[in-house]
Amino acid sequence: MSPRVRPRPRVPDELPELPPHLRPAGRVLDARLHLLDRQILDVEDVPVTTLDDLHVSYADGDDDVTSGDRPAFVDQVLTGPVLVTRVFGGRPPASRLVRIPWSDVVDVGVAVRLGVRGEGLDATWVQRWLRDRVIGRIPGGRHDPE
Amino acid sequence: MKRLLGVALGVLTAIGGFLDIGDLVTNSVVGSRFGMTLTWAVVLGVIGICLFAQMAGRVTAVSGRATFEIIRERLGPRTAGANLVASFLINLLTLTAEIGGLALALQLASSVEPRLWVPVAAFAVWVVVWRAKFSVLENVTGLLGLTLLVFTFSVVLLDPDWAHLVHTAAAPQIPASEGAASYFYYAIALFGAAMTPYEVFFFSSGAVEEKWGPKDVSQSRLNVLIGFPLGALLSLSIAAGATLVFLPQQIEVSTLSQVVAPVAEAGGKVALAFVLVGIVAAVFGASLETTLSSGYTIAQFFGWSWGKFRRPSQAPGFHVVMILGLLVGAGVLMTDVDPIRVTEFSVVFSAIALPLTYLPILLVANDREYMGDQVNGRVLNGFALVFLVLIVVASVAAIPLMVATGAGA
Repeated sequence: MSPRVRPRPRVPDELPELPPHLRPAGRVLDARLHLLDRQILDVEDVPVTTLDDLHVSYADGDDDVTSGDRPAFVDQVLTGPVLVTRVFGGRPPASRLVRIPWSDVVDVGVAVRLGVRGEGLDATWVQRWLRDRVIGRIPGGRHDPE
Repeated sequence: MKRLLGVALGVLTAIGGFLDIGDLVTNSVVGSRFGMTLTWAVVLGVIGICLFAQMAGRVTAVSGRATFEIIRERLGPRTAGANLVASFLINLLTLTAEIGGLALALQLASSVEPRLWVPVAAFAVWVVVWRAKFSVLENVTGLLGLTLLVFTFSVVLLDPDWAHLVHTAAAPQIPASEGAASYFYYAIALFGAAMTPYEVFFFSSGAVEEKWGPKDVSQSRLNVLIGFPLGALLSLSIAAGATLVFLPQQIEVSTLSQVVAPVAEAGGKVALAFVLVGIVAAVFGASLETTLSSGYTIAQFFGWSWGKFRRPSQAPGFHVVMILGLLVGAGVLMTDVDPIRVTEFSVVFSAIALPLTYLPILLVANDREYMGDQVNGRVLNGFALVFLVLIVVASVAAIPLMVATGAGA
C-alpha cells in the first residue's frame, strides 16, 4: 500500500455519484496542475526547491489514504530523492524523503510561497553544503558582483 | 543612452545566438557553397526566434518565472528532464566550441598556438561569470560585438552586383554543383542555429536578472525586434561576403581565417582589426551566454537559487554547475578536437530540445493564471503554431539528413 497517493486522475469503471458541491465558492486547486513541479520560494523570495511531490494523510495522521472514505489532507511538500523516483518509477523509503510541512506554505500562485526562510530547511542542505565546502572558499565567493 | 543600453540584452542574446563560432563558420561555408540561396532559412529562423523569444520575455516579465521553470511545471519531471539533458548537452557542446573559438580568434590575433589559449579563455569566462555584474557583461560584449557590422560594410565595399544577389536570395535554386540533401541539411542548420534553445533560456533569465516587471513588456519587445534582426543581418552579411569572394573561385571555407578574408580584401588591415575585436567579443559573449544558460537550466529545473544578481555564495549550485561546465569544455578542447566540428553535433540534440522548449512557452503564454490579460492574441498563436510545426519538421529531419550527407560534406 502506498503511503503517498499520486494525484493522477483515475477513471473508475463505474462513475461514482458526483460530490454535492461541484463548484464551491472557494478556489479549487488541482494538485497536478497547480502544485506539482511549481517553484517554491521562501519568505524573502529566494528559490528553495521545486515542489517534487505531495504527502497526503488523514486528520489522525494515518497516511494510508487509499480507502478514500474520509477527507484526506495535504500535510507535507516532498523533495529530494523523490524526484528520481518520479522520473524512473518506484518509491524512496520514508527515511529518505525531504519534507516541508504544509503549514509553512502561505500562498499558492505561479510559485508556492513559504512563510519561513529557506536557510534552515532540510530541503536546502545540498546548497548549504556546496556553499560552505566549495563556493564560499573560492576568493570573491561571498562578495557582491561588481 | 539609457534606452539604447536597454536593448543590450537583446543584442547580446542575438549575437551570442546567431554569431557564435559555429555560426560564423557555417554562414561563411554556406556563402561559399550555396551563395545567397539559403537566405530564406535565416529569415524563417529570425521570425521564429522573434516570436518565441518575445513570448518568453513577456511571460517572464509578467509572471516572474523563467523559461525552464515553466518547462518543468508544464511538462513534468520526466519530459522536462529529457529536455534538460538534451539542452544541457547542446549548451555544453556549444560552450566547448566557443572556448575553442576564442582560442582560434586569439591565435589569429597573436599567432600563439590555440591550445595554449584554451585555459586562459576558460579562466577569463569564469572570472566574468564569477565577479562581473550582469549589466556590465551584457553592455560590454553587446557594444563591442557591434564592430561585426564591418562585415556588412565590407559587402558594400566589395561593390557586388546587387540585383544578382537579391535575385538569388529571393528566387532560390539549389546550385548545380550541390545535392538537395546537403542544401536542406544546411537550411536546417541555419534555422536551428537561429532558434537554439539557449537563446530563450538566456533571454528570459536575463529578464529576471534585470528585474523586468509587467511594465517592461514593451522593453522586451524592443529588445527582440532590434537584437535578433541585427543578428540575422550580420549572418547574412557574412554569407554575402563569402559568396562574393569564394563562390566564383569554388573555394570552400573551412577555417576562421577564411571567414575574415572577405573583410580583409574589402577594407584592409583596419577592417581586419575591427572584425577581430568583433569576433572575440561575439564569441566571448556566446561563451558567457552558454555558460550562464547551463547554470540557469539546471538550477531552474531543480528549483535552486540562481542568478548573477546574487552573491555566488547565495546561489552555490548554480555556480558549481557553471564551473564544472567550463572545466569539461576546456578538458575536451585539450584533446585537440576541432572546435567548429563540435557544434555540428548539437544539431542531433536540437531534435529533442527544440519542440520541448517552445511548446511549454506557447502553452503558458496562453494561461491566464500566469499572464492575466496579457495572453497571446489569435494572430500570434496562429503564427506560433505554424512555427511549431516547422520546428518539429526540422528537428525530425535533422538527424537523417546529417547521416545521409555526412554532416553536410
